[in-house]
Amino acid sequence: MASTKMKIKKNKTGGRDVMVLAKHPMETGLRKDKKTGEKIPAHYIQTMDFSVNGAVVAQANLGAGVSKNPLIGMSMAGAKSGDTISVSWTDNKGETGTVEKAVK
Amino acid sequence: MKRRIFLKGSMAAGAIAVAAGAGLLAPTRVLAATWPEAAFTAKSEADALNAFFGSADAQDSGDVTLKAPLQAENGAVVPIKVMTSLADVEAIAVVVAKNPSPFATSLQIVAGSTGGMFSARIKMGQTSPVNCYVKAGGKVYKTSQEIKVTVGGCGG
Amino acid sequence: MKKLVSLAVGMGMAVLTASTAQAISEAEINNDIAEFQGFFLKRFPGTVLEDYVDGVNALPQYAHRRANWELMMDFPPYEPEMEKAEEEWSVPFANGKGFNDCDLAPATTYPVYDGASDDLRTLVADLNACLKANGEKPIKNVKRGKMARLIAHYKSQFNGKPMAVDFSTAGAQAWYEKGRQFYWAKRGQLNFSCADCHVTNAGNSIRGDILSAGLGHGVGFPVYRTKWSMSGKPWGTMHRRYGGCNKQVRASPFKAQGTEYKALEYYEAIMNTGVSLKVPSQRQ
Repeated sequence: MASTKMKIKKNKTGGRDVMVLAKHPMETGLRKDKKTGEKIPAHYIQTMDFSVNGAVVAQANLGAGVSKNPLIGMSMAGAKSGDTISVSWTDNKGETGTVEKAVK
Repeated sequence: MKRRIFLKGSMAAGAIAVAAGAGLLAPTRVLAATWPEAAFTAKSEADALNAFFGSADAQDSGDVTLKAPLQAENGAVVPIKVMTSLADVEAIAVVVAKNPSPFATSLQIVAGSTGGMFSARIKMGQTSPVNCYVKAGGKVYKTSQEIKVTVGGCGG
Repeated sequence: MKKLVSLAVGMGMAVLTASTAQAISEAEINNDIAEFQGFFLKRFPGTVLEDYVDGVNALPQYAHRRANWELMMDFPPYEPEMEKAEEEWSVPFANGKGFNDCDLAPATTYPVYDGASDDLRTLVADLNACLKANGEKPIKNVKRGKMARLIAHYKSQFNGKPMAVDFSTAGAQAWYEKGRQFYWAKRGQLNFSCADCHVTNAGNSIRGDILSAGLGHGVGFPVYRTKWSMSGKPWGTMHRRYGGCNKQVRASPFKAQGTEYKALEYYEAIMNTGVSLKVPSQRQ
């Protein structure tokens, strides 16, 4: 089961609100492992590209100040029925995640 | 059609500022957005804003609103939603003034128009103003709200 | 104690004594429900019965924190987990049957009094009984994780339907009385009863928090809590929450699915008669 989820809602201005929920620890690098006493290395999503029909329209920038299992939402004025919205993220270790959904 | 300039790194490249001042550019949108490292590593709000917008100047605006709790339920997960009716939005930034790294998250618009909304769940180390900036039509506007962070209560 | 006595009497309820539970009639229980619900509707003008499923978020005293919940509900963290719950529900047993073949009561009627065993059937117990009857291992952890997700999946199919727990027999009424006594009895080093916080002080502050109303408790459960998600165990059943509450007043918690918490769950479910299900719940 994919760990990045997307929700698309019609908004008041006729566009679409796109919300993404990613499964990610968003570690700051300052927290200590309770068992070993060692600092858990920083591990957080940095960029999240929002695309419509393959073309990037916006990029969210995240840091370790964003909560674990981050929620990022933005709205697209131009998205319409039949379009495909995809979101791809990359973290500071180069790991990635992606999710795609059709606009109803 | 004015030629757009591809930007590497932060949006505060000196060349852009000069070119914009000389009227050589249409709306300053980036063709390809990159992670604004300098903003995220900045230890003060002013440094973060300079790194992200090229300036720390911002004008309070009623056209930028923030939906956020007055008191957080959990400082590790504070949900906020920035909304704006301004046209031509280029970027939105969220800064938690009292966090050790105040720059929390941002949205860079690459193409087309957005519906003027950016929401996120952020970490707050203590009670702090949460300052939200929107760059639209070349100018930076802001709104702010304090969010209280308390410890304790009944938990179970 | 005086204040509690006058409050209890004022609400038309039989005052607690240290002796064994007295017999209580169906009519008296119906009266208890009316008094209990009426108390909160009066205490929080502007609220209606339906609102109480939202817990503390329904109270005006929570206005400064309500946006936490409203924004989380834009995309609740439990949603991906509910997909997982649906998958877990559909995994067939080794004998080919599945959870859909279990003998379960409508979610709005739990706990169900069983005359043959003079016991209460909770949804948790019924699911484990079903697993056992089909040759599967029952779920050991009845307070969190998979069990909570299965319950959330089943109950959510009854969302929008009102609570309607039966208490028409003497055996059921005796269990109700056990639960009522538990709810109103002082316990722990802090010497609080459930009612002290959730009736007398509903809407008031306790350290940095606001006390929720007793009305509505459990209707939206299982709960997905931000606080519990920090340690990787976000889901909780009513009995998990009861244990936590008891610990907070420095009382020893009782066993999940044991007599005390089943009786308490029964009492609360009956007090919620008419409140519609909205499962699961997102809370702090």
